[in-house]
Amino acid sequence: MNLIQPNNVIQNSEPVRIGFIPLIDCAPFVVAQEKGFFTSEGVNAVLSKEASWASIRDKVAFNLLDGAHMLSSMPIAASLGIGSIKTAMQTSFTVSHNGNGITIGNALYDQLQHFSDSSLDIRTGIALKRLIDSRGDNVAPLRFAMVYPYSSHNYQLRDWFSRAGINPDKDVQIVVIPPVKMVDNLRRGDIDGYCVGEPWNSLAVEQSVGHMLVTGYEIWGSTPEKVFGVNTIWAEQNQAQHLAIIRALEKACLWVDEAENQAELLRILSHPDYLNCTVQQLVYGFGSIKPKSQFDWPMEAFQRFSGSDINKPLPSYALWIMAQMHRWQQLGNNVSKLNQLAEQIYRKDLYYNALGLVEDKNTVEWRLPEAEEAAWLSLVEHGKVRLHPEGILKGFETFA
Amino acid sequence: MSAPPEKELTVMLVDNEPARAAIVEQAMIDSGYRVIRRLENAKNLTEAVAEFQPDMVIIDIESPDRDMLENMSRLTQDNPRPIVMFAEEGDSRHVEAAIRAGVSAYVVDGVNSGSVKALLQVAIARFREFQALRSELESVKSQLEDRKLIDKAKGLIMKHQQCDEPAAYKALRKLAMDRSQRMTDVARNIISVMELMGGSK
Repeated sequence: MNLIQPNNVIQNSEPVRIGFIPLIDCAPFVVAQEKGFFTSEGVNAVLSKEASWASIRDKVAFNLLDGAHMLSSMPIAASLGIGSIKTAMQTSFTVSHNGNGITIGNALYDQLQHFSDSSLDIRTGIALKRLIDSRGDNVAPLRFAMVYPYSSHNYQLRDWFSRAGINPDKDVQIVVIPPVKMVDNLRRGDIDGYCVGEPWNSLAVEQSVGHMLVTGYEIWGSTPEKVFGVNTIWAEQNQAQHLAIIRALEKACLWVDEAENQAELLRILSHPDYLNCTVQQLVYGFGSIKPKSQFDWPMEAFQRFSGSDINKPLPSYALWIMAQMHRWQQLGNNVSKLNQLAEQIYRKDLYYNALGLVEDKNTVEWRLPEAEEAAWLSLVEHGKVRLHPEGILKGFETFA
Repeated sequence: MSAPPEKELTVMLVDNEPARAAIVEQAMIDSGYRVIRRLENAKNLTEAVAEFQPDMVIIDIESPDRDMLENMSRLTQDNPRPIVMFAEEGDSRHVEAAIRAGVSAYVVDGVNSGSVKALLQVAIARFREFQALRSELESVKSQLEDRKLIDKAKGLIMKHQQCDEPAAYKALRKLAMDRSQRMTDVARNIISVMELMGGSK
């Protein structure tokens, strides 16, 4: 029988050290701690607030942390040794899907009006392409920001540029700026636009600093945003604890998405130990309230923490991210056996194991025949493969 | 203690704790480095780096600007800077492991002048080794690439002019000298012109 027992076998164990970045999608970790979901699973967790993604990466790599709130690309980059030293990391739990948007400053938005026949030209980037073409070579390129080189934000921004015929490496400049500083940088005119998670798009709109043009959902459909990433060696040595944390996070995610919990959620998150902000600043991160703006958020584009297989680790997504890394020259030449890598890093088996579920055999087949890997990567590189409009759970679509 | 670096390296320091910054600055000066700028916060970091072009930026590990700085040194490949950071936690084994692995960021257990100096020297030595390896690799790679281009251009000339290899090479070299261009650049031009004319098939 497969009833999940409260797991009290893990006793007298060392506390598990979990890092997080103070962003709204750290909510499940905070809730699991504050509402006792970790405790009821027998997990003694210590949360550690971290200042940067690089800090999270290095601390998990050097065992100063056991696991962390991570960008969904991070366990892949670390396992492949891209951008840092090679350390095996993995994830068995997706914390959230969606929540990203691309926002541009008022000055750029006004300029785009002269290059567009309709608002669609602005939202698709076509107007931006025309503007860039008209600027000549002697002006400084327009500058856009994202939060980290190995992030959905970077890849979605680049995909959006490419679809409009803009070369993200040559026609514009892309820089890294921490999320909390995005709105200020846009206001000062240091950057012309950015791709970031909520509430930083809505806050720019609310403060009349810029216009949110398009959501991550409209570019990629529903896709994983943050995961619970762990050091693989730790996971192998502490499997009972690892699975217990997954169960606690699963419950916390359900709690976070429950509308009646929202007031309490915002109160907890705003505490100085966590996001250290006002409740008002958090409102746009959750629920369906958005500031009135030129373009609306489709319902599906909101950040989600539970339901519809949201929390499942998806090896197909790891494959997609590796293809993005290839597309943007981050992946070396000697990477092969992508299916295996994807399954070693995105551990669906452990997720099923933790929750006592039987693996669903009706999922979309995503594996690539090994002989076709290079050809497929090349198709992705040329923008010929896209995610299904509804997202990664529906698989890939190839265009001729 | 090892000798000071041959060429004076310039350092930019970003630290919101004046006491810690002073210790680090003194350790840097003692080791023969020049601290060209001390910032209380990283507000105008991008501009400051662009203006002062330091060889190295030292930043508090707990600063959210670390991601930005890391990406900046990735982008400016011709002027890479190690990023070394301090925080009052962790134990020395982790520090050592991080440095050995080539991470130019590490954690210091309580900052005092002596340990700062020693650790900085190890990190910088490690960084230089890494840079030397990388530039060697890059030069080998580009040499290979150059050869390939020149061979291809030679082949095209041989076919087009119906001459032998030494003659094609001579023609290529003459063209390069006449235009005072690199052989590789001339080769690249020839290839693109021939391809345009459909002559490369």
